[in-house]
Amino acid sequence: MKLNLFSKISIKTLLFFCFFGISLSANENIEEKVKKLTLELRCMTCQNQSVYDSDADFSNDIKNLVKNKFEEGESEYEIKKFLAERYGEYILFRPFFNYNNLFLWGFPFILLTISLFFLIFKTRKK
Amino acid sequence: MNRLILISPLIILFVICLFVLIYLVSGKNPNKPPSALLNKDTPLFKSVSLYDDKTFINNESIKNKKVLINFFASWCTPCKVEHPLIFELANENPDLYILGFNHKDKKEDAKKYLKDDGDPYNFVGIDSDGLIALEFGVFGLPETFLINEDGKIIYKYMGPLTEKIIKDEIESLL
Repeated sequence: MKLNLFSKISIKTLLFFCFFGISLSANENIEEKVKKLTLELRCMTCQNQSVYDSDADFSNDIKNLVKNKFEEGESEYEIKKFLAERYGEYILFRPFFNYNNLFLWGFPFILLTISLFFLIFKTRKK
Repeated sequence: MNRLILISPLIILFVICLFVLIYLVSGKNPNKPPSALLNKDTPLFKSVSLYDDKTFINNESIKNKKVLINFFASWCTPCKVEHPLIFELANENPDLYILGFNHKDKKEDAKKYLKDDGDPYNFVGIDSDGLIALEFGVFGLPETFLINEDGKIIYKYMGPLTEKIIKDEIESLL
């Protein structure tokens, strides 16, 4: 089947926009992922600012690093692990759930349980 | 009395929390968190010499050597403060290999700085994009690391070195 010139141009234009759209959406996707992750990272040279919100040299380096690693196909967890191995979990606003942080994660629940027992005990007595 | 017994769990809890808080906060400076790389292997790096584009340094080059790694730049004022101390370390410890990483600097500026103030380093590697610094967990200049013969990071100091720091913390490790 022979395509006329108009059809050929139409197909090529359609394909171009498809690829352009896919590439744009992939870029947007990475930008979103970078934003989400860097919002969870502490700027080590600022006071109570996330890497995303900071314009410090350190933060810009981390933003570039995160972007490059996402582009290389690394996952959010892998990037967080890479940074925590070098800067400590201090760089993470939300530390990993592991043996070292068990108390940190578990304490609110311990507090809640004790408070509930205390409340039940007191209301029963009344 | 009954009331006291009733609130005793809360008092105990409060005391525990207080001790935990004191333990967590004591002796820790939030601006200088301990390095996560202490007692770990030196991160992989490869850097070109400031003076010769054909000469490189990497982990293999510092194998079986005690190495002091210093991140510096010509634009970093605190680096200038500690610069004479790097000379002292070099003079007093001839076996110590001193590796400087010139961080995010212009080549000409770095060369001029080392010409004017002297070059205490055995090798000056370029870290123009800051990637080596990121590998080492550096977030401000100057930063100094001490690597033992096994390639493990045994010491890290953030900020300019002082006579006191060298005497109290570094000398015993050399």
